Amino acid sequence: MGNGIHSIHPFVMFFYYLSIGFFAMFFNHPAFLLAGCLALAAVNLTHDRGTAMKQWMPVMVSMTLLIILVNPFINSRGTHIFFYFRGKQVTLEATLYGVVTSMSLLMVLLLFISLNIVLNGNKILYIFSRILPKTAFLIMLSIRFVPLLKRRLTEIQDVQRVKGMTIKQGTIRNRAKSGMSILQILLAWSLEEAIETADSMKARGYGTGKRSPYIPYRITKTDQNWLIYLAIFFIISVAGGFLGYGKIIIYPKLGTLHFYPLDWVVFTSCLAVMLFPVLVEGREQLKWNYSA
Amino acid sequence: MERSRHYLVFVSIVLLILLFASILFFHYKAYLLVSLLMIASIMIPFFVRFEWRDVAGREIVLLAMLAAIAAVGRVPFAGLPSVQPTSFIIIMAGIVFGAESGFIVGAVAAIVSNFFLGQGPWTPWQMYAWGMMGMTAGLLRQAWWMKSSWGKCLFGFAWGYLFGWFMNMWIIVSNIEALSWDFFIGIYASSVYFDLAHGLSNVFFLAVFGAGWMKILQRVQRKYGLLE
Repeated sequence: MGNGIHSIHPFVMFFYYLSIGFFAMFFNHPAFLLAGCLALAAVNLTHDRGTAMKQWMPVMVSMTLLIILVNPFINSRGTHIFFYFRGKQVTLEATLYGVVTSMSLLMVLLLFISLNIVLNGNKILYIFSRILPKTAFLIMLSIRFVPLLKRRLTEIQDVQRVKGMTIKQGTIRNRAKSGMSILQILLAWSLEEAIETADSMKARGYGTGKRSPYIPYRITKTDQNWLIYLAIFFIISVAGGFLGYGKIIIYPKLGTLHFYPLDWVVFTSCLAVMLFPVLVEGREQLKWNYSA
Repeated sequence: MERSRHYLVFVSIVLLILLFASILFFHYKAYLLVSLLMIASIMIPFFVRFEWRDVAGREIVLLAMLAAIAAVGRVPFAGLPSVQPTSFIIIMAGIVFGAESGFIVGAVAAIVSNFFLGQGPWTPWQMYAWGMMGMTAGLLRQAWWMKSSWGKCLFGFAWGYLFGWFMNMWIIVSNIEALSWDFFIGIYASSVYFDLAHGLSNVFFLAVFGAGWMKILQRVQRKYGLLE
């Protein structure tokens, strides 16, 4: 089952990621987005001390910098002009817009890094098996075939290498050709095999009745409480967002960045949602260390 | 066949209505959100149809195997950048097994390969682009020019570009307020070579291996009476 965030029911986690993704694309106040990025970075740190985040770092940094640097120069909308570059105005609005866009994308990327760790294969398929059972079953089968096919590929490649067919040498045309021949052998082999798999499924009763799913995850009292917690703060945040809090006007003229009292309310409730995994882990740590 | 064509017309009309609704009601400019909702609403009917249809065990396993081969197809070509046969396999599946199976193979191949390469905001776009590739291949398979080898090659070449354009869309949609012709052209110009490589490798595979693969797939189809 796992500890901490890994023991939370997949549906709760799915709701969490949906709401974070929604926030990232819904709010555009720089402070909100910066807080979101930092919160998700913290969440990633609690998962694996940031190992996965480090792997994605080059992509994240280059994408962010690219958008921030390029946007002001290709877009000249706005009224606060910094300077002119090749006859085009470079504006505060366009710069800020670049910052906002890049942070929103960064937040989505961080979300997916965390999602790939927490809602790994089984859990995400569990969610879809409740919504689209046949599709989820198809995907599950397909995922199971991948390592099998890889093993077969190495086998075929070993045999073909003896015959002198390789994709390591020669012109691109010949390499592509031998790569495809290897795949063709794989296809002919695997299609026959697939029929056999299906027949053995049928022999064991596939399709005779309704498919009964194995349910490895049960919703506990804790899960329910967390779900209510998330839902309440999500609704507060979204309601605030629809009233215009947490958002700024960028084009055609930059509006105010000022935080009104209600902005603080929306901001806090957003943070309460975004930091949910950190709270779960923190609670676990406290319990482990200090409870009798 | 006739039914699925009606169905597709219906879906594209729904898409059009969604497009207008988004312009009218979503003036708060969350374009990425709207675009994801749109993609979801285009794809969900296909999956729901698949759920409701009576699919035999053999057919499900066959579709899963095709999707897996399309996803694994990248492996032997690891040494050849931007040459990958995934699109070719999806087109073949669409031509032999029809539009709906083509869509399922394409969309599932995108999910499955991303399980190993990492899911991200690009997953729905990839699912959509590859799914549509398989679907259009299935829809056009009766057309006279699609039966000839050059017609298939043209189709594969066009999809090399269409696929790249769809994938560029997610960058553009997430940055749409900055949209200017310079930006638009810049994004598309930066992908021209990749799209060209994709299109050309599709043409190469379709020209050299198209007939052979169709034979293998049709043999299985006829021998076991699957997805006809």
